[in-house]
Amino acid sequence: MEKTTKETTSNDIEFSTFYVGGAICGIDILNIQEINKHFEITQVPQSAEYVKGILNLRGRIVTIIDLGKKLGLAPVAPSKDNRNIIVNSDDEHIGLLVDAISDVVITQKENIESAPSNIGNIKGKYFQGVLKTKDQLIGILDIDEVLKE
Amino acid sequence: MFEDDETLQMYIEESLDHLADIESDLLTIEEGGANIDIDLVNNVFRAAHSVKGGAGFMGLTTIKNLAHHLENVLGMIRNRELIPDSKKISILLKGFDELESLLNNIQTSNDIDISAHIQALENITSASAPEPAQQETIQQEEQEAGQIEALADIALQDGRKFQQVALKGIETSKAEGKNIFLVEYDLIGDFQQQSKNPMAVLNNLCKTGTLIETRIDITGAGTLSDPGMPGKIPFQILLASIIEYDMAETLFGVANQCIHIITDDMISAIAGRADEIPPPLPQPIETVEATPQPAVAVHPVPVNTPAPASEKQPDKPAIMETPVAKAQEKDGTTGGKTQSSLRVNVGLLDTLMNLAGELVLSRNQLLQGVNSSNVKATELSSQRIDMITSELQEAIMRTRMQPIANILNKFTRVVRDLSHQLGKSIELEIEGKDVELDKTILESINDPLTHLVRNSVDHGIETPMEREQMGKKGTGKIILKAFHDAGQVNIVISDDGRGLDPDKISSSAIAKGLISESRVEEMSDKQKTELIFLPGFSTAKEVTDVSGRGVGMDVVVTNIEALGGIIELDSTPGQGTDIQIKLPLTLAIIPSQITSVGNERYAVPQVNLNELLRIPASQIKEKIEKVGDADVVRLRGELLPLLNLADMLGIQRTFVDPETGEEREERRARISDRRSKVHIPGESSNLKEQAKEETKRAKSDRRYHASSAINIAVVSAGAFKYGLVVDQLHDSEEIVVKPVGRHLKKCTAYAGATIMGDGKVALILDISNLAQMAELSAVAEAGRNAAKTAEEEAAARADKVALLTFKNNEKEHFAAPLSIVERIERIKTSDIEQIGDLKVVQYRGGSLPLYELSQVANVEQLPERDQREVIVFKVKDREIGLMVTPPVDAQEVVLNVDSATLKQPAVSGSMIINNHTTLLVDIFELVKTLNPEWFDAEAQAAATMAEDGEKILLFAEDSAFFRNQVKQFMVEDGFKVIEAEDGLIAWELLKERVEEIDLVVTDLEMPNMDGFELTKRIKSDPSYSHLGVIALTSLASEAHIEKGKSVGIDEYEIKLDREKLMAVIRQHTNL
Repeated sequence: MEKTTKETTSNDIEFSTFYVGGAICGIDILNIQEINKHFEITQVPQSAEYVKGILNLRGRIVTIIDLGKKLGLAPVAPSKDNRNIIVNSDDEHIGLLVDAISDVVITQKENIESAPSNIGNIKGKYFQGVLKTKDQLIGILDIDEVLKE
Repeated sequence: MFEDDETLQMYIEESLDHLADIESDLLTIEEGGANIDIDLVNNVFRAAHSVKGGAGFMGLTTIKNLAHHLENVLGMIRNRELIPDSKKISILLKGFDELESLLNNIQTSNDIDISAHIQALENITSASAPEPAQQETIQQEEQEAGQIEALADIALQDGRKFQQVALKGIETSKAEGKNIFLVEYDLIGDFQQQSKNPMAVLNNLCKTGTLIETRIDITGAGTLSDPGMPGKIPFQILLASIIEYDMAETLFGVANQCIHIITDDMISAIAGRADEIPPPLPQPIETVEATPQPAVAVHPVPVNTPAPASEKQPDKPAIMETPVAKAQEKDGTTGGKTQSSLRVNVGLLDTLMNLAGELVLSRNQLLQGVNSSNVKATELSSQRIDMITSELQEAIMRTRMQPIANILNKFTRVVRDLSHQLGKSIELEIEGKDVELDKTILESINDPLTHLVRNSVDHGIETPMEREQMGKKGTGKIILKAFHDAGQVNIVISDDGRGLDPDKISSSAIAKGLISESRVEEMSDKQKTELIFLPGFSTAKEVTDVSGRGVGMDVVVTNIEALGGIIELDSTPGQGTDIQIKLPLTLAIIPSQITSVGNERYAVPQVNLNELLRIPASQIKEKIEKVGDADVVRLRGELLPLLNLADMLGIQRTFVDPETGEEREERRARISDRRSKVHIPGESSNLKEQAKEETKRAKSDRRYHASSAINIAVVSAGAFKYGLVVDQLHDSEEIVVKPVGRHLKKCTAYAGATIMGDGKVALILDISNLAQMAELSAVAEAGRNAAKTAEEEAAARADKVALLTFKNNEKEHFAAPLSIVERIERIKTSDIEQIGDLKVVQYRGGSLPLYELSQVANVEQLPERDQREVIVFKVKDREIGLMVTPPVDAQEVVLNVDSATLKQPAVSGSMIINNHTTLLVDIFELVKTLNPEWFDAEAQAAATMAEDGEKILLFAEDSAFFRNQVKQFMVEDGFKVIEAEDGLIAWELLKERVEEIDLVVTDLEMPNMDGFELTKRIKSDPSYSHLGVIALTSLASEAHIEKGKSVGIDEYEIKLDREKLMAVIRQHTNL
């Protein structure tokens, strides 16, 4: 993973990257409200398969989505590295359950390439683009598309 | 002018709220053109209507007038009589703008001339010759421009003029007691050379006062032809401030000669003539020449009008520009509106701020305590946080709860003014002023309540003359009552006026095409009355400005339903109308029953909960039945369908093993099954353990263990009532409803979620949706069908009998067979004569003996009354009267008599009729007890018969009651009776004992073989055909008699008509 201590300039974009179902993905850090490991999740019977349940986030009810299932990958396997990435989408807080959190990557807009039709079995429409680093290909998720009902 | 400042302020605020979204709505309507969005038009229409309504009783005639005309135009658009083109919309927009400015200057509103607007609006409504009207409109617009933006010139003492300042700003400031200063800075000398920032200076000035106007005086800068570089660029600031003149110099940091105090005589307002009006928002740059340009030329042509290009006429009103710009600022939101602002007392907000500050402090202390592992400090701060949180909660709740008096009080004025206006005399009574309600609810019920009260005044209460003609008091009465009931706030508006006529309402609804005639025919009066809630309905013959445009009632219903409330209407024509509104205390907190299934808790709103039911394991088998595929439980005689929440939601059912405490998968397929421990391969329990368990189980039968009981929450939602089977029932709690995210919107089983005391989330169940999910209607139907079939079967077996029902004492219900009743009489108590022990009344030249039931049976005496209902029976050719208490009613019922429980003298048994336990009177026994001598002949006959050898009757009857009754008649008269339960048995008996039998008496309706078939067999078999057959029926119809004759029935007799029956029997047995 590329580590950088450079000061960010206006052209820079920061991505928080994480592992889900064996793939590495990233989300624009500005979309992220917080990352936590609350797992007092209440299951919601009859909900969509990818909905893990709901969570009390300081008085707010937050839907937790198993990002692995949502993207059509393996469901997130319970482990101590699991995290909820709380994102803000359409004025609503939604939690994305991921396998593990990785680093924050700073890059420039022009480094992001357009997404191929699919990346590691994930539908291309879920991606804004891909970011090539020295040793990895990070899929940049389009949060609004992923969280469309 | 209106004296109550608070009410006036409230009205202004509300009206401005109403008007806030109108511009965008109107523009959307304009875009739609001929394709009218009725909902949107309704929104605007209602806003205008509300503003009008309020203005009406506040005495704000100008506002009322304007709103009324706006409403007229909108009403025509709503009825599709007008197509809202851009011209009409702009006139409407201008009208609303004017309305808003009137509301903002409420004190002077009545003096403002709005005839131009009225004229323009009237031109639309009259819709005649639109072209000339247009010309007129332009002029009016110009005039208005002058009125809206009143400008003034300020003449300085040195002869210069500070021109075209908005007069409003100056006047407002003066009204607030502020001094007005004109401060002149020099952009070069004061700013550039001292490297000051003009913005900083302005900000500084803002702290001491209000900026009215700032401008740079280019004319004062001189021209290029002036010798040398211009030495200064004057920067003029018009400022209103409370500071005094002597302070000004130090404060503004300029020399005294640059500060001018503006006094009244320096200000000269500009007259509002169109040709003199300078463009609004004058820029000194544009007015270098200081000669005002003709207005039309300067009006900027609107660029952003949503109208199609062809509409862009030069006469496009300039005022259009503002609304368009505003609508865009509002991010183009169309339609959707949930006003979610709350006005909070600043003092209370300060308290909240204080508390929030305290909270932050305490948090810091807590963090410090935790970091330094200082237990004492942690404890202290947690105590503080505890207290602050409670206070905070209370304060926040306080911001929401308001006494209902805030809105009820104004109705005194509403009713007074309206009744004056309508020439009515009405008294208003308000009860329960201190009932508190959530502010949002309170605000939202204001409009509906206003409509309802106005309707009561306008339509409900009659004029004093009408009232007196109807024998009512001349003064009508309206009662407004608020009270708490069952966790809800009830508001009742009742009047003693003319009430609502259901037929008039329904025919009016049909005439308006709101509903079809065939549907109305099926409706009850109450349903017909409720048709007034339909949109577009109005019973008023004329449109008045008080009420009645068909907005009222549908606004009321929509608003109240949006709040989760219900409205009920109860009206008696001629007596008055009661309207009851039930509202939740607050929208956010609801009392709920907490239940659990598996590991999760679920909340059942208390509103839906009827009762909790626990069926012990030992009773499950008896109490829970299966109807078709569904489980039902019998609850007080009613079949209640059961839904298993776990099945509904697809939750893996588990139960906690009472011995081991471990959780196991539930294996009962049905509720009515018992749990049993079947060893399932894969279930990890070693044999030893299992053996141990088994021995344990032998000791205590687990079926009787408490944990195997079934817990049922009996809930109802609308027409559905069912039992929800859950694993456990917990406490009842007040829960805070939180919305769930959009990914769960499709899960209709939940009404939301809540956070429990332990921080975990629990789902709130939507009881009515659950019922629909389970297709409960089908289940219920199955249950009902089963019950119905059973009932029908019973009905087929049992006979229907016509009974006369009456009462003895108020609470004692009786019935007697109608067939033996001669007639019913009503006599005066004073006509009753007492002769010895006997009561008689003179009647048709004779004396009718009167009895009452208490003389024979163990029942209460008749209550004392002025008159008596007397049922006249004929027994042994003599009439007797039985005195009873009304209502006396005849009905046909299926006899299902319990002849044991309540049997007593003169009472043959009891049955349930119309939910009352009713005793069946045996008239014959009654008479016999009272007058044994009348039956001497029978006694003799019986004695003779016993001597001569008994006559034997074969009696076939399926109903045990009748069998016993009729048999008793026969035995008492000396006959011997062979009983048969149906035709087939009778036939078998007849074959065996034909030698003994003298006569056959048979019922007609019987299972296996009916009376017709039996008779047919008897009559067609030579060995039996000599026997007479008497048929007993409860309801003899012509068809029956015909059919009976054809098969050879000799006589028809009515069951329970003992005398006639016995006479016929005697006749056929040759006695």
